[in-house]
Amino acid sequence: MSYIVPIGPYHPALEEPVHARLYTEGEVIRDAEVFVGYNHRGIEKLCTERNAIQTLVLVERVCGICSHSHALTYALAVESVNGVEPPKRGQYIRVITAELERLHSHLLWLGIACHIIGHDSMFMHAWDVRESIMDLLEELSGNRVNYSMVTIGGARRDISDELRRKILKTLDVFTPQLDRIVDICMNDKTIAMRTQGVGVMSTEDAIRLGAVGPHARASNVKIDVRRDSPYCCYEDFDFDVPVWPSCDVYARVVVRLLECVESMKIIRQALEMLPEGPINLGKKIPKIQEGLAIGRHEAPRGALSYLVVGNGTQLNHRVSIHVPSFKNTPTVPHMLRGNTVADAGLIIASIDPCFSCLDR
Amino acid sequence: MQEYKQIPITRDEIVPTALRMRHDGVQLVMIHAFVQTDGQMRISWDYAVDPVVESYYVLGEERVPSIVDIYDEAARWPELELHELLGIDFEGLDTSKRLFLPEDLLETQGKGQILVTPLSELVEKRDEVLADRQRKEEDK
Repeated sequence: MSYIVPIGPYHPALEEPVHARLYTEGEVIRDAEVFVGYNHRGIEKLCTERNAIQTLVLVERVCGICSHSHALTYALAVESVNGVEPPKRGQYIRVITAELERLHSHLLWLGIACHIIGHDSMFMHAWDVRESIMDLLEELSGNRVNYSMVTIGGARRDISDELRRKILKTLDVFTPQLDRIVDICMNDKTIAMRTQGVGVMSTEDAIRLGAVGPHARASNVKIDVRRDSPYCCYEDFDFDVPVWPSCDVYARVVVRLLECVESMKIIRQALEMLPEGPINLGKKIPKIQEGLAIGRHEAPRGALSYLVVGNGTQLNHRVSIHVPSFKNTPTVPHMLRGNTVADAGLIIASIDPCFSCLDR
Repeated sequence: MQEYKQIPITRDEIVPTALRMRHDGVQLVMIHAFVQTDGQMRISWDYAVDPVVESYYVLGEERVPSIVDIYDEAARWPELELHELLGIDFEGLDTSKRLFLPEDLLETQGKGQILVTPLSELVEKRDEVLADRQRKEEDK
């Protein structure tokens, strides 16, 4: 018996609007299609009518989870057009915020994945641990989301010595908790049975379909913008790029958790080596010079890129935003083929999709 | 600071460049397009030749060959997006499905440069399309 199973765009199991159509043969999915665009807000268009500081505020609202990544990447692109280099302390503060954001984003995803698997106690445990990172972010920036830590030419808020010691102390408490989560996720039978061999995407397919971020790294493709094309002083830090060869949902769980461990390493190094000096280049609204440049950043979900075109005034001539979900979502139908309907939700969630980012 | 290398190419070199990059295992970062201040359309294909981003661009073309056969899904969505929002035609791209714009406005897709048209004109245009459709339905 063949059926077409529609999911969404508004569905209790989905956090964000997306429409998937599954063509099934009994329980098995033979083909699938994904439709997006239910959250299109025309942000690229709005950017062309705003100056650089206003655009920072606007692009932070592209996504709720990786808001710092968007502001940071836009700032990188504008600084590249203007040819200015922010002070080192500002760059370190940007890195600390970006890595804290990666920690909270990956733990949020882990919670949702465990919830879909049916392992609800792990979901609560992961979110409980995540809360300590959220508290740090709140203390650092004053907000739980939309941190506003970035300005053109540096960071907006400084890290005091007291806060620096507090973050290090919290990380000391956090490390054994995270290690326990990693241990459970890698050895638990429930998680292994639901994730191993599900939603396989081979290494060759990952390269061909253009997957990015943890999704690609879980298919054994070693790409990471932080390592391949360093920015924001990432070359100062010592960290690994974890990959996993099994190419399934299990690999995506493992890669994200190992990445959390690497993020902790980066935050620790950044806090210990935090240089003295100013944090930004002043509060003047910058003119965006004639020319164009690209800014790339490894957001929690993968490589995020901004193209900024200036025309010599304060306004942007064109801002082109390209988010990791835009690259990862087209790979979903490919992974769904041959799996059962029961696993569809898990496979869609396994790329950590963000449809607000995607639609812009 | 990340380097952005801009290399001008002609329309005929788009596909050979993509083939060469695909052969070298280079990822396509994105296909960008915008209308320059002098009114010329600029389309660029950005490849991540780490640590540099190499951008191959063509000027003044609004009809270019598609590279979907070479880069598959990595190129399909960017091309669809530019088709919808900037009215660029990609030869060989299947445009029967929408990406961002509403399903019930399919007839307007690929016909306007939404990203550069002032908002007031866009509203007028939408009203025209809707009035036109209503007229057709009344005729039936």
